[in-house]
Amino acid sequence: MFAWRLLLRECKTGDVLTLLVALVLSVATVTGIGLFVDRLQQSFEVQSANLLGADRSVRRDDPIPTEWINQAQSEGLETAQTASFSSMVFSDQGLQLAQLRAVSSNYPLRGEFLVDQQMFGTGVSTKDAPASGEIWLSSRLASLLGAGISDKVRVGEVSLLVTKFLVRDPGSATSAFAIAPRAVMNQEDLAATQIIIPGARVRYAFLYAGEVENLERFDNSLRPMLGEGERIRTPIERGERVGNTVNRAESFLLLAGTLAVVMSGVAMALASSRYVKRHLTQFAVMKTMGATPKKLSSLMAIQITAIVLFGIIIGSGLGLLVQALIADLLSSLMNAELPSPSWSKLWLGAATAIISTLAFCAPLLARLVSVPPLTVLQPAAALPMRSTSLLLFGLVGMYGLMIIYAGGWQLPSILMVGLAVVTALVFVVGWGMFALSRKLSKQSTTGWQVGLAALHRRLVSNLFQLLVFTLIIMLSLILIGVQSNLVRDWQAQVPENTPNHYLFNAQATQVEDIKQYTQENGLATSDWFPMVRGRVIKINGEDVEALYPNRRDEPEIAERELNLTWADQIGEGSALLEGDFSAQGISIEQQAAIEANVGIGDELTISIGGLEYTLPITSIRSVDWQSMQPNFYLILPKTVLSNYQANYVSSVFLDQTNAADFYRFMSNYPTVSMLNIGELLKQVQDIIAQLANALKIVLSFILGAGALVLVASVRSTLDERLQEGALLRTLGATKQIVRQALLVEFGALGLFAGVIGAAGAEMALVGLQHFVFEMEIAFHLSLWLIGPIAGWGIVTIIGVFASRAVLKVPPIRLLRSI
Amino acid sequence: MQDTETLSALTIEKLNHSVATSNGELDILKGINLSIRDGESVAIVGASGSGKSTLLGLMAGLDQHTQGSIRLYDQPLEQLDEEGRAVLRGQYVGFIFQSFHLLPSLTALENVMLPNELKGDRSAKDRAQSLLEQVGLSHRISHYPRQLSGGEQQRVAIARAFASAPKILFADEPTGNLDSKNGALVEDLLFELNQKQGTTLVVVTHDPELAARCDRQIEIHDGELKES
Repeated sequence: MFAWRLLLRECKTGDVLTLLVALVLSVATVTGIGLFVDRLQQSFEVQSANLLGADRSVRRDDPIPTEWINQAQSEGLETAQTASFSSMVFSDQGLQLAQLRAVSSNYPLRGEFLVDQQMFGTGVSTKDAPASGEIWLSSRLASLLGAGISDKVRVGEVSLLVTKFLVRDPGSATSAFAIAPRAVMNQEDLAATQIIIPGARVRYAFLYAGEVENLERFDNSLRPMLGEGERIRTPIERGERVGNTVNRAESFLLLAGTLAVVMSGVAMALASSRYVKRHLTQFAVMKTMGATPKKLSSLMAIQITAIVLFGIIIGSGLGLLVQALIADLLSSLMNAELPSPSWSKLWLGAATAIISTLAFCAPLLARLVSVPPLTVLQPAAALPMRSTSLLLFGLVGMYGLMIIYAGGWQLPSILMVGLAVVTALVFVVGWGMFALSRKLSKQSTTGWQVGLAALHRRLVSNLFQLLVFTLIIMLSLILIGVQSNLVRDWQAQVPENTPNHYLFNAQATQVEDIKQYTQENGLATSDWFPMVRGRVIKINGEDVEALYPNRRDEPEIAERELNLTWADQIGEGSALLEGDFSAQGISIEQQAAIEANVGIGDELTISIGGLEYTLPITSIRSVDWQSMQPNFYLILPKTVLSNYQANYVSSVFLDQTNAADFYRFMSNYPTVSMLNIGELLKQVQDIIAQLANALKIVLSFILGAGALVLVASVRSTLDERLQEGALLRTLGATKQIVRQALLVEFGALGLFAGVIGAAGAEMALVGLQHFVFEMEIAFHLSLWLIGPIAGWGIVTIIGVFASRAVLKVPPIRLLRSI
Repeated sequence: MQDTETLSALTIEKLNHSVATSNGELDILKGINLSIRDGESVAIVGASGSGKSTLLGLMAGLDQHTQGSIRLYDQPLEQLDEEGRAVLRGQYVGFIFQSFHLLPSLTALENVMLPNELKGDRSAKDRAQSLLEQVGLSHRISHYPRQLSGGEQQRVAIARAFASAPKILFADEPTGNLDSKNGALVEDLLFELNQKQGTTLVVVTHDPELAARCDRQIEIHDGELKES
């Protein structure tokens, strides 16, 4: 077919290749980042699944129906079960009420137990559940019972062998305050205990794991069978502790990908415009030979379809390679393997190719088809490129692409507003600057003046070039700004000495002793908070049960018994949002207030130890739940809570050098509970480090792509500059003058682009920080330095390097070759 | 059956052409009447800016004229849209340009094949090879335009113009970009192929020698026709 033959012939020269390269770059960037983000998301899900012990769990008060298990297994899913209950545990030396969990042999389906052979040890991982006949006791339970490894303890009617000390089981990681002396045993021994009798308070959990499609299919068939108050829990909600961090990282990667889409769009538009410029006469010549517009349109359509197809195939392949490379780099840094990418995400790259072609390429190429044949005799007859409408077309396409990519309108809209403002700035400021440069270069005798004069002489093309430079610099600065903000925030979240052990159930007298020990040994602790249990029973005088007949809808503060405290000061990591913290009323956490639909002046009735207290809400606080400090939904006046005997809670940071001594010291206070969250904290720190690395890699990748677009942009106007340089040399200008003129022209373009780009980035960052990342708005002075300096330096280097032919090649050869 | 020698290839009546400028309408051609017989060679001469190339463009249907009538092989151009004019060009017209306008991404052979390939003619390659041989470039068929001298490029352009066996050939300053030796060579080729194929030839030129070799010379002065 003629269209194919022509395309193949064209491929031998550069123009089709330039277009193909831009397309491949777009597809590869979007596919690469899309797949990588997908793998990271999957990896977070896996990590969160480790905290859940499975991919899904359903908790209920009745035993798990066999039907559920059979159906899940027939869907190819693995299943496990647990039963949690309170019971007395007996040893030779005593008895203790404990929280027990009987698990099936294949529990956990995801994640691991942390166990130790030493009491109060830090633990090693194991995937195996306790075997039948064995029991693992938490160190605290063991110390209360006076039991050690190889001792026997009795649960109900069955005697079990203590084989390990339990440090953490997957299901317990996020339920810090529900902690009691705990033990894990095998489910096979449950019946023999004879504890589970009708009416016994047992919480059963059904856990399952497997392939995503199977999970989804089973979820759908399970949902109608669930009873009231039962729901399918997924890893993401379970892993909320790291949720915010992960969400922000995802937003960043999404932002990076979206910016990559914009850069790709710019690259496509540049390549298309170069293609069109170089093919105008060719199309006119073909028209003189009798090629009708219809024929040329179909020729073009076939060729573009072929280019898009090749672009998608090669770009997707390259994208796969790129994401594998990024993942590999990350794995070697993190010592962890990422899950395989989801192939279904490949469509993103294909969609980018098609939409970019339609938005950036097709309108330009359509103009090519409508070029008047008279152009062959009178080049001025060529259609003027209506730049504004093309720009609008491209922007609409870009917006559409960003919406598809980001899966929402907020991020694209902020960026689009930023882009629109910057475009306007470029045209207004750029025009003003270039006009000024003309005034400064009245007599073009030195290189400086020639360079400045060139800025104004090629006003339109320089304004577009300035726009491209500015956009790329702005996008890069946005990413640099967000990345540094995120990493700084994360590092601040989990600083070096973040407490890694919670201490609770301490009595006032014990608090003094422990405080003394921690002070003498220089251990970092948080404040001690008194804790009294209470339940919200009325909101503004109305019973909670009447307000929420369906228990599922109950706000968290009314759903269960809460830990209440009093405090003179608002405390570290919290901030007063509204009201007066010192007033004699309730201080409520912001999200809890929103959920319960209450505000300042509303009244809550709280039942504490059988007495009811009705108090107004007098302040609303924000709480940083990730601070690892003890935090509370409700803070009550001391006058109310001081009537009750309070348990105190605090947190302490222990490391290898002082943990063992502290554990030994604490064994003097067996009633004080201690929860080691070091492992969990390490997990959070690992995720943060992993994310910071991922961000860095993606950032460098995007900056690299940005530099390539800059090169492409310089090349797009190179012919014009080479021609002018060659003419200047022919007219006797020294190399020095030509070089200086190029340095001045590119330097000025880079500098202006840097300044406007920094302004645009700062503006977009305000929106992004507020709406997308929900961070405090900070200004970035460094961007105002990096922008202009990098803009000036990089654009000058690229420009002068690309134009070096003017200085090296004899002018006549240059003039002939253009 | 009519004798083709007596047929009119091109008839122009009361042709006016103007373009819009920032200072209002500018009349480029005024009241042109002209008839060219089939097989005749005509030179259009005149000063720069006199309207020669504009007239050539209008005669070949490259542009739409403002007023009057142009009939190319009995087809009134003013009644055709761009699609129709393109079909007509494909049937009857060949071009040679001052700046050659070879497609830089195609070899000499591919450039000459192009007009027939656009028509879907399967013998495009054979015909192109034969024409390149006739213009003395059989050894350069796989060269790209940038690898050819100006004279060679124009010879390829001549081969391309004759490839589709046009009934009328329009040449815009065909020797304008060439030195005298190459210019003469190109001229010879042009007239030789023209005679061989019995093509009507319309040449816009500043070159008096080239103009003199044509059957008829017409001069344009300030948009008006003056036959000499």
